[in-house]
Amino acid sequence: MTNLQSLDLFWPELIITVVILTALIVDLCIEKSKSDVVGWVLVIGLLITAIAIWNQDKTTTTLFTDMIVLDPFATFFKLLIILSTLLVAVVSWQNNELDEYRKGEYFTLLGILVLGLFLMASSIDLIMVYISIEVVSIMSFILAGYLKLDTRSNEAGLKYVVYGAFSSGIMLFGLSILFGLTGSTNYFIIQKSLAGLDGSASAALVMALLMILAGFGYKISAVPFHFWTPDVYEGAPTTITAYLSVAPKAAGFAIIIRFFHQVFADGGALADAESLSMTDVPWPEIIGILAVATMTLGNLVAIQQESIKRMLAYSSVAHAGYMMLALPVLSIQTVYAIMVYLVMYLFMNLGAFFVVITVKNKTGGETFDDYRGLGWEMPFIGVVMTLFMLSLTGLPPTAGFIGKFYIFSALISGGSQYYWLAIVGGINSVISLYYYFHVVKVMFLEGERKETLVQPPEVMSGVLLATAIPVFLFGIYWNPVVNWVQNSLIFYVQTM
Amino acid sequence: MADYTFWLIAAITVISAAFVVLNNQLVYSAVALLFTLFGVAGLYVFLWADFIAGVQLLVYVGGILVLIIFGIMLTNRISSVRISHKSVQQGVGGAVIIWLFIFLSIVILKTPWLNQTAMEPASSVAQVGKLLLMKYLLPFEVISVLLLGALIGAATLSREDP
Amino acid sequence: MYRDFGTVLVAVILGIVMVAIPLLIQKLIAPSKKSKDKLQTYECGEEAEGSAWLQFNIRFYVIALIFLIFDVEIVFLFPWAVVFKELGLLALIEMGIFLIILIAGLAYVWVKADLDWVKRNVRYGTGRYQDVRMEKTT
Repeated sequence: MTNLQSLDLFWPELIITVVILTALIVDLCIEKSKSDVVGWVLVIGLLITAIAIWNQDKTTTTLFTDMIVLDPFATFFKLLIILSTLLVAVVSWQNNELDEYRKGEYFTLLGILVLGLFLMASSIDLIMVYISIEVVSIMSFILAGYLKLDTRSNEAGLKYVVYGAFSSGIMLFGLSILFGLTGSTNYFIIQKSLAGLDGSASAALVMALLMILAGFGYKISAVPFHFWTPDVYEGAPTTITAYLSVAPKAAGFAIIIRFFHQVFADGGALADAESLSMTDVPWPEIIGILAVATMTLGNLVAIQQESIKRMLAYSSVAHAGYMMLALPVLSIQTVYAIMVYLVMYLFMNLGAFFVVITVKNKTGGETFDDYRGLGWEMPFIGVVMTLFMLSLTGLPPTAGFIGKFYIFSALISGGSQYYWLAIVGGINSVISLYYYFHVVKVMFLEGERKETLVQPPEVMSGVLLATAIPVFLFGIYWNPVVNWVQNSLIFYVQTM
Repeated sequence: MADYTFWLIAAITVISAAFVVLNNQLVYSAVALLFTLFGVAGLYVFLWADFIAGVQLLVYVGGILVLIIFGIMLTNRISSVRISHKSVQQGVGGAVIIWLFIFLSIVILKTPWLNQTAMEPASSVAQVGKLLLMKYLLPFEVISVLLLGALIGAATLSREDP
Repeated sequence: MYRDFGTVLVAVILGIVMVAIPLLIQKLIAPSKKSKDKLQTYECGEEAEGSAWLQFNIRFYVIALIFLIFDVEIVFLFPWAVVFKELGLLALIEMGIFLIILIAGLAYVWVKADLDWVKRNVRYGTGRYQDVRMEKTT
């Protein structure tokens, strides 16, 4: 569609842009102590955006002369992103770490981050891919280093910048190789040209693939591009940590699925059971190995952590590995499984980080020592945290079990060459049991009981309930999620 | 003539880049970076990207280099410590670099790159302008939001009061 | 294109040569007697005090950063100006949106007093020139 026609279908993003500018201007007019108001601007703006997305035409088309697409797949990720942003924005008011700072910029930057994530989920042009990833990265750098007076936050910001700049530079090199081979930045034209290349180009393709994976892998923190994850997650404000572990990861998976299934494979055939790899580049094998490495390293290192926040950082690396497991199998079931997993992961991971925030507000720490006997002192927190830990391990009847179930069954239905991936995934789930249950053990079996019960503030309890109820409910009745995902599994495909 | 000039500029770029990396004095490295960035601008001219060459001079030589030197001068222990930077893990790094060089050379030489025969254009600025305002309009507008975010972030982080 | 840039190249080479030749001449014919006084930092006959390696004020950095952002903006204005006549009103609107978003950024740094050398205490919602206490930055 041309630029002018596209505007009609571009309302959600336009609304967000207006929200960003409004938030900025509101921030200029108010005192520091009242800067929470900007958060209201963001929350209300996001709600309006969600309504706009919901009421959008269910057509599939490209917008802005083939820069981005509008399809149910993108819409699914947009709603996921809005949901996580809303939860994080509400918790940000409660987060004591941010008390000394103006929150106006914080919420404004969060709004820009949402815009970048939207574009990430829907871009089909290499230039758009790069710019949307840059928007997300740069806003994440700033937000990770937002606690200026805290040296660990400074470290987080700096480390993130160095890794981010390096990996996006490498990715750009890879994208330029792809452009040099095909002469186009559009996914569909690239895919068509790649299918016509002979074997002499495969070295260049492998190179391009590895370099592009460096950029994408960095966004979902896959091994060996994960080195920034623990330090950034530990140093950043906990609300931002929670956000980074969910929303950019979801958008990263959206971009990976779109890229590999529409550039390196025949995206059109995704609706059928099998879609064949178009080139002789062994990308499914490469991703399979990376997935195993990601998950194993994440789990093994998570065991040794003293700080719960850091443990959850490594656990989020491991979860990226579980989701990557499904990528090598080129079938509709695997994409479906990843999307189901992302929904479940959103609730359980955000919930776990929100518990960390609540506990830190109360005790001021985030190590295992601070959780000693907490289950008896704050029974609500104890029960909710146990639920999240169960779910992150993947035990029934929780949402995490359903997510893992779909991933593993998609793997097994992919054929016998993928069994080993499923087996490694199973072993890893068992390993993760150890450290997730360590938290539960510390909370309930260690430390002395205190007589007085402590209740978290109402807003915090509400948000925790809003994440805990889905984690429990989707463990026994997951049809709504599955239906939603099923209806969203429509890609825009260009036929030429 | 153009050939010799190309090799001269390429040599300046590579040698000064090596100087940036290998020199121990931070300030000398920053000054050597000036020549690298200049050389890269020259290489852009050989790619017929005159607009990008101008941008390279305006933004990198005129802006980012100044920022880097300010960055060095902002270091709070600048007077007491000899400002230097050393490379660590040279063995591993060297191995990776050599492997990367060989592999990239093979890729560059063996691959059937898409070659287009074209006339030497008078100037690419008008083409860039048209592409920006028509085909790549959305990225262009998104860049303004990106710059806004970068501006807010930079100002927030470098301001003294929290 | 090469012709145009050939001129630039010639200018660069001429510039280097014009500086190099006088330096070379003075190297050849001037007597060289080094002494401690000659090697000192020149301060109009005063004795130099301390080192020239001073820590800069952070304000330099903030201003340079803001400059850089608007530098990039100018880069985008340039190709727009070249094709503006051809594309007309549409180009004006497109660039208008681009500029409005960035001007919001300018308003931001202005109100937050990041552009001021001597930092004001920012008072929100009162207006810039109202009675604000001046405070020196450290």
